[in-house]
Amino acid sequence: MLRLTHYCQQASLLALLFIAAFSQAEIEHRFSGFATLGLVSSDNPKLAFRRDISQGDGSYDGTLEWRTDSLIGGQWDSSWSSNIDTTVQLVAKDRHENNLNNSVEWAFVRYRPADGFDLRLGRLGTDIFMLSDYRQVGYAFPWVRPPHDYYTLLSLYHFDGIDLNKRINLSQGTLNLKAFYGNSDQKFPTGLRSSDTTRLDFDVSGASVVWEQNDWKLRYSYANVNINNNVAQSLIDALDAAVPLWPEAASLSRKTATQGRDFRYHELGFGYDNNQWWVQAEATQLRSATAIVPQSDHAYLSIGRRFEHFSLYTLGGIARPRHDPAVVTPPTGYPSPIAEQLAQLAGATARSLNGVRIHQKSLGAGIRWDFAAKMALKVQLEEFRIDRQGTNLWLRTNSGQAITENQKSQVISVSLDVLF
Amino acid sequence: MMKLSISIILLSFSGLLQANTLVIVNAHNPITQMEHKQVVDLFMGRSSVFPNKEPAHTLDLKAGTPVRASFYKTLTGKSEAQVDAYWATLVFAGRMSPPKQLTDEQQVIAEVAANPSAIAYVNRQPLPASVKIVMELNTPE
Repeated sequence: MLRLTHYCQQASLLALLFIAAFSQAEIEHRFSGFATLGLVSSDNPKLAFRRDISQGDGSYDGTLEWRTDSLIGGQWDSSWSSNIDTTVQLVAKDRHENNLNNSVEWAFVRYRPADGFDLRLGRLGTDIFMLSDYRQVGYAFPWVRPPHDYYTLLSLYHFDGIDLNKRINLSQGTLNLKAFYGNSDQKFPTGLRSSDTTRLDFDVSGASVVWEQNDWKLRYSYANVNINNNVAQSLIDALDAAVPLWPEAASLSRKTATQGRDFRYHELGFGYDNNQWWVQAEATQLRSATAIVPQSDHAYLSIGRRFEHFSLYTLGGIARPRHDPAVVTPPTGYPSPIAEQLAQLAGATARSLNGVRIHQKSLGAGIRWDFAAKMALKVQLEEFRIDRQGTNLWLRTNSGQAITENQKSQVISVSLDVLF
Repeated sequence: MMKLSISIILLSFSGLLQANTLVIVNAHNPITQMEHKQVVDLFMGRSSVFPNKEPAHTLDLKAGTPVRASFYKTLTGKSEAQVDAYWATLVFAGRMSPPKQLTDEQQVIAEVAANPSAIAYVNRQPLPASVKIVMELNTPE
């Protein structure tokens, strides 16, 4: 499997060589792009606001942050023959690990043997949620950013692999079926402006079904993520070493392990748009075989109304864990300093298991103004309520200090989105 | 006098209903007429072939060209901004290649005249014999 995904990584290069054989006459190139200049301010002093969990910095205590939402992307589409195309997309933005490899969002070859049947190979976007593969294109959606309670967790932007898409045009509407498989490797920050990271290497596979009819859109998707490494290896080692003194550590070690474990998304999406009123909603169940990726449910609902060049909308979201926080009790009866060491280990385990919990809700409203061709200005106000044991979408500003009370934050965002 | 004013009203009324936007293809294209949904599917990226399954090369005008806004509004009920946002979801997700964009109608007509698989829209106007009309859109003024 690894060999296959490695091959996929090379596919775009191979394809470019292969394509050199095509006749010049048919070849067409097109360059286009998108950009967002965004400003965000979040007033909670203990929690920093971020757009997705791959970001290691954000606004807190009312500071103005421009890096959260600002980005610029360029795309090169080439048509090499009537059924072979290539696409390369590069996005420059603030990343925890910023390098050329991570900046290449897509680099794939598309083979279209017949209308409505696409096979893509290379670096691809994920089709896990409704906005997954265009969530960096601010102009394409009504809000300043994809709904926070729902999209912040999904930091997976692309994978190296393959997907198959079949579109069926029926007299009533359009049915779209898709299946995908690939590999991705990502690093996540562990704290505010911290250089420490956790790495996640995983294989992702899944399928989606989308039905579109007039003003309506319905979709279901399933994705399975199989993790290839242990995210918290040092904790696992420490727990394994403690088993002779603390038998319960064996089961905690198994819970903490991620290698060979998987987690799954079941997503339902709904959209309605009659060009005046629009509604969009999504709900996801995240089911997991490892406690490091806690089981949770996420949903949002947004309703909007267009007035000529203006659009008004409201937005509400929720993210809830399935289980209560873990309680880890160290064994008793050992002399000092063993007792203190075991208590420390128990504390670190509890922090690890509970630190990844996501428990929050939000309510907001905003306005979009399409003031010129391919340019939109947006202002959005939101209030978040975050459970003290569910702050993982945010970064704690003082990692040494536990969050002991439920938190609240008001977030004001402004953005300018353009296409070019 | 009464008759004259009625006929003036009728004339101006028929003027309002007149097809302002024409959907055109190359004169050698075997397609003679297209249905509303077939044209919508082509211009909204849900199809890349004509009803006879031959490849279709969709041509678009640059954003801000007056005929572009009225064409999409009449065809889909969507504003130009909505159409651009919709196409951005397809193009930047890498699902569909964007239609080729030209700067003015004369370029569009020349390209359709030269390309047997092209399809485009233009304002009502005298057209060369090398292109033909497959659909007329009534744009209310």
